[in-house]
Amino acid sequence: MREKLVELRGVSYKYPDTETFTLRDISLEGYRDELILLIGPSGCGKSTLARIFNGLIPNFYGGTLLGDIDIAGYDPRKTPTAKFAKIVGFVFQNPENQLFFNSVERELAFGLENLGVPPSEIRERVEAALREYGIEDLRSRSPFELSSGQQQKVALASVMIMQPQILILDEPTANLDPLSALKILGLIAKKTREYRMLTILIEHRLEIALQFASRVVVMQEGRIIADGPPLETVLEAEYIVGAPAIIQLIKRARASGLPLNPARLIPESLAVEVTRRMREMRRYE
Amino acid sequence: MNEEAERIIEVEEVFFEYPDGVQALRGVTTHVARGEIVALMGENGAGKTTLIKHFNGLLKPTRGTVKVKGRDTRRVSVAELSKTVGIVFQNPDHQLFAETVFDEVAFPLRNFGFPEDVVERRVKWALNILELYQYRDRSPFLLSVGERKRLAIASILAYDPEVIVLDEPTAGQDYLQKEKISEIIKLLRLMGKTIVIVTHDVEFVVTYVQRIIVMSQGRIIAEGPPSEVLTDFATLRRSKLLPPQCVRIARALYGKTVLSDYRYLTVDELHRKIFEELR
Amino acid sequence: MEALQAFKTIKKNTFFDKLDPRTRFFLSAALAAVAIISQKLLTQSVVLLSVLIVASAAKRGRTLLKSIRGSLILLSMIFTLNFIFSPSVQGAISALTMTLRFMSLIASFALFFNSTSPEEIAIAIEEVGAPRDLSLLMNMSFRFVPTLAGDIQIVMDALRSRGLELERGKLLTRIRNYVYLLVPLIIFEVRRSMMIAEAIEARGYGLDVKPTRLVSLKFSWKDYLVIVSTLLGTFLLYFSGFL
Repeated sequence: MREKLVELRGVSYKYPDTETFTLRDISLEGYRDELILLIGPSGCGKSTLARIFNGLIPNFYGGTLLGDIDIAGYDPRKTPTAKFAKIVGFVFQNPENQLFFNSVERELAFGLENLGVPPSEIRERVEAALREYGIEDLRSRSPFELSSGQQQKVALASVMIMQPQILILDEPTANLDPLSALKILGLIAKKTREYRMLTILIEHRLEIALQFASRVVVMQEGRIIADGPPLETVLEAEYIVGAPAIIQLIKRARASGLPLNPARLIPESLAVEVTRRMREMRRYE
Repeated sequence: MNEEAERIIEVEEVFFEYPDGVQALRGVTTHVARGEIVALMGENGAGKTTLIKHFNGLLKPTRGTVKVKGRDTRRVSVAELSKTVGIVFQNPDHQLFAETVFDEVAFPLRNFGFPEDVVERRVKWALNILELYQYRDRSPFLLSVGERKRLAIASILAYDPEVIVLDEPTAGQDYLQKEKISEIIKLLRLMGKTIVIVTHDVEFVVTYVQRIIVMSQGRIIAEGPPSEVLTDFATLRRSKLLPPQCVRIARALYGKTVLSDYRYLTVDELHRKIFEELR
Repeated sequence: MEALQAFKTIKKNTFFDKLDPRTRFFLSAALAAVAIISQKLLTQSVVLLSVLIVASAAKRGRTLLKSIRGSLILLSMIFTLNFIFSPSVQGAISALTMTLRFMSLIASFALFFNSTSPEEIAIAIEEVGAPRDLSLLMNMSFRFVPTLAGDIQIVMDALRSRGLELERGKLLTRIRNYVYLLVPLIIFEVRRSMMIAEAIEARGYGLDVKPTRLVSLKFSWKDYLVIVSTLLGTFLLYFSGFL
């Protein structure tokens, strides 16, 4: 029995002083142990939708929010953003703008200080987080001294230390080189499993991010136009989100009469699958 | 590639040290030939942006020389060099200030002292190419992210520099925007421009780029056509890049002895090869 | 420029550094107060000497001397201006007093800032009961100074690359050209501050519980010793008529 953590029904939203609705009639359910990849062209409303989950909309941005919303039992129209911080963690795109202190240690402690956690417990959890994320030697460094990959890791740790049940990430790898991007997305996937969270990840680089998703949601012009398993959903929406090489290859193979269903959307898995199919085919010769 | 093609930018044993002591370039020697499309790749901090800033004189080498069309960059002002080498920086929001899109694109032309009728013509031309003409009287701040990026390119294109340098043109862009940028590059190539693209988007450079220069820690560690560089796993790893997904798939299949080679850059190629091997 | 170097924070391992930042502030403030109040040349000399003694005990003697050397131009201007208005022996003495006073002020505050990081100042501010917003503001201002400096450089580079001349030309034209930097810079930084604000809220700031602090300040015997000694020293000066 899967545990439902969020439910949106018929949700629409319009920013203050605008006439058009940025989100139109969105219905979505999110469960524990899921990593949802939220994709769509720029301006489709992904970032807006993401901010409903932690209350920034409507508390920080104002505007008109309609529909039924249940985020782990809370409604952002009735609950201030700060209260959501206990259950929803949000990692923003630019690490520069979410690291506020001159030491990593203080950064990690900040969220817990805001929640009123007793100092001795803060100390324990900060030490544990430094170890868990392998950033002990960065303890007293200022963000300016860190690489962007390290900065995002610190940002992630500062959010995870608050033990959220839901994790939202808005283009966390935008400023990172491919290898660092892969590493941090791998870390996010690992933590999603470890802590059994619902993670919603907004990303453009499908060739790196797709392999970690258990579900893909595609948005366009404020609506959800596709929602389902990664391979099929990306194929469905290929014309607006593009398809990484692995998906294109599977599509063509299928069209040529070779159905491929790799266990994971990574090159190694695909190779295993191709070899398996080949052996099958040889057996029939 | 014509060996005799004029070297429009020459970099000779360049060292560069920032005032705070950081050695950003440690002996870089390379060139860009007229009409070439070159990609400059490498991890964050490898020295890519530092190097391109030498192309228009924003930075002058601590040691070594940089020559643009034969002139030493130390002897020429940035404004003068910018007429030949136009750099489109990564974040357009760092430079937008005009009241209208038109004025924004006209800015460099006016700085260079072009007469107003030429300015008018050039701005219209550039805006049309980048499909922004309908916004000419609008405030640049009201454009969408993708449109602002095109605006930054239009602003440089308008004064028709021979070399256009694009700093991370696809960073943070969605699929359709990237397609648009590919088309712009295709167009620039048809116009005979020399193009330098700084990027770590390996998927993007597969198609149009003729030569890739890979940097790491202030040095050039590899240089060559995409088919060589993008299949060199060791070099790519050193500069924190991933091979294009196609190549990774080919390599995995090569490892399982399904394929006899792994240097395939496009899905077309790969697909064909796989089905050849399967027969 | 050299004078400002002394104000940068460098932590060392001395008795002075181990004091509570509030104690250091009290000491610097007391020295500065005495320097301001006193009219006597002798007292000023005593104060300046005390600052230098404390500085060398804190292993910062050389740094302070460098900062004084760096402000020599300013100091000689102060002396000259005061002397001009009363050119006599008496005038010379009072000009010298004024000069020494400035030296003491600069030195005593340099001593404070050189040994106290912005984080410590922010914690001290919170500890004395000021609203949390203030200490957060303090921390973030220092944190974002290098970022802002970087942004200025980027904006300059982008505009110079479009032909904006900032290196040569008439002074007035150059100043006008620098103004072009303002619009993109201000808009950029305002946008940045919005993003920072939403990130701070997303981290739970402003929750209706009483916030706690990882680090709190505690006075030790060292602090009491220094505070009492400072008070004694000040009273001594007062009662012996030297103030």
